Amino acid sequence: MRVNLLHEVPAKHHLINLKEEEEEEEEEEEEEEEEEEEEEEEDPRSANPRRRIRCPHQYATKMAACGLFRSLSSNFFTVLPVLTRSATLSPLRLTSQPYFERTLATSCRLTAALKFTGKHEWIRVEDDGIGTVGISKFAQEALGDVVYCGLPEVGTQLVQQDEFGALESVKAASELYSPLTGEVVEVNTLLADNPGLVNKSCYDDGWLIKMTIGNPTELDTLMDEAAYERYIRSIKD
Amino acid sequence: MMSHVRRTWSLGRNRSGVSCRTGSASIATCSGDAALVLLSRSNDVFQNLALEDWIEANVDLQRRGVLLLWRNRPAVVIGRHQNPWAECHLPAMRGGGVPLARRRSGGGTVFHDLGNLNLTFFSSKTSYDRRRNLKVVTEALRQLRPALDVRATDRFDILLNGHFKISGSAARLSRKSSYHHCTLLHSADHSALANVLRPSCPGIQSNATPSVPSPVANLLDHAPTLQWEELLDALVRQYNAEFSSSSSSITVDPADEAAFPGVAAAAAELRSWDWTFGRTPKFRVETVLQLADEWTAARCSARLQVEVKGGVVESCRLDVPADWLPLRLSGELSGVLVGGRFCRHRAAAAVTELTRSESGEARSRLKELGDAVLTAMG
Repeated sequence: MRVNLLHEVPAKHHLINLKEEEEEEEEEEEEEEEEEEEEEEEDPRSANPRRRIRCPHQYATKMAACGLFRSLSSNFFTVLPVLTRSATLSPLRLTSQPYFERTLATSCRLTAALKFTGKHEWIRVEDDGIGTVGISKFAQEALGDVVYCGLPEVGTQLVQQDEFGALESVKAASELYSPLTGEVVEVNTLLADNPGLVNKSCYDDGWLIKMTIGNPTELDTLMDEAAYERYIRSIKD
Repeated sequence: MMSHVRRTWSLGRNRSGVSCRTGSASIATCSGDAALVLLSRSNDVFQNLALEDWIEANVDLQRRGVLLLWRNRPAVVIGRHQNPWAECHLPAMRGGGVPLARRRSGGGTVFHDLGNLNLTFFSSKTSYDRRRNLKVVTEALRQLRPALDVRATDRFDILLNGHFKISGSAARLSRKSSYHHCTLLHSADHSALANVLRPSCPGIQSNATPSVPSPVANLLDHAPTLQWEELLDALVRQYNAEFSSSSSSITVDPADEAAFPGVAAAAAELRSWDWTFGRTPKFRVETVLQLADEWTAARCSARLQVEVKGGVVESCRLDVPADWLPLRLSGELSGVLVGGRFCRHRAAAAVTELTRSESGEARSRLKELGDAVLTAMG
């Protein structure tokens, strides 16, 4: 069980492993596609030497993130699973492991302070006061493989809850709703040729737009991670 | 008004004697958990699409579903993120009076006519289940004509005899609800379909969602006695069986603003150029124009490169041999197109203006070039 693994491994060792894994992952980006297919079939509970933990916020020091993570882990009854790229998870794995993966991702992101809407968008306020917007793991899983991202033009003025675009997946065209009021200052151009980034890296490379924050008090209307976790659990029930 | 037009069938009689003008009060706030079955009396594609949006936004779908049955006069309907210039032949459509509509759901391009039945299954997001919806269709058909081999595929198409597509699906997920709609080819006009479902312009490069072309067939070709009314009845019965309801169908009029407040504005938006063409994902056209001087029969090839964003020409480059037409003139022609809609009518006006100020051979060649560019615009 991974619970045991976590508590036994000394912090330093653990952190080194994480760093290596991060680098490994970046180098092997291309090659992994096929290998991941095979991994899916393994028993999720078996030790997986290629544990990859995707920390979505590149700027946060991994040490801080994982230090936090360790202290928080005791709050969660489930721990550290493999956080493989969501798009390639088999349905069986999804149903047996959803809480594991969410809690891990949550911990890494705490340093980045994500806020969530009830429609499963997230916004992260960067140092320069600009908000980066994307969709949550829950949303990305529910959507299935994204085949097209319909995003607004830079300069578009958005009011909180406005429809600002749509993601088309094999499942349906799903509307995107603006988490806040503000102006679109950047759109993720990588998604034009690689819409699957939304599935593979929903908190990082798969961001959708960046916007100004016209009305910071609106942030208070959004859920923090813990509240969002509870919200998801209530939906699933 | 009852649907009239070429065939005398209406979409459906009032089955239970429930009367026509059903207001939003009864639909949006219908008590109980029974699924509702609605038949649209309109054959206007924009009104029917607007009605779909209205139902999704205004009917509480959390506890119960709705089935809407509708059909349209000939029209081409493209998916949310598609490129109309790539998917359909705009000049042929103009010639035939066939309008273009962009729907809000994803998926590919379809040809609608009065022989093509549309079914929209509305539900909450959690109850969204396309397979279950398609089962309603396949089961209904199996009961009507057990000998017909109809099966739903992984792509949520329905195939007849394992080969001919008789139904395609698309869907939309929004705030709390969803809809999944599909076509069902009963007796559509195949030659009209083939005429319009081909590209307007050669050389389009885009990442818009493409259609997956398939051979199609009509149910009537394989079940010649299958009447439209019979098909509708079976579908309604099967829907009720699948969703454990016993609703009789209610005929609704999407032109009735009192019954569906806001529906006219929704239809107007769907008709607008900005929605239909302006929502096309960025694309570029790269093609070779074959030019011939009408007086001397001299020929040449010119290259056209256009970048279109939001349906508007962002950049235009014309490479025309300088001995055919002075570079200044081909440059001016590119220039007048930039900033305008990628639309033959708009561009034609600009081109005419430009040719007017020239004369002689330059004028006729400029006109020739202009016409070739306009043809490439579809």
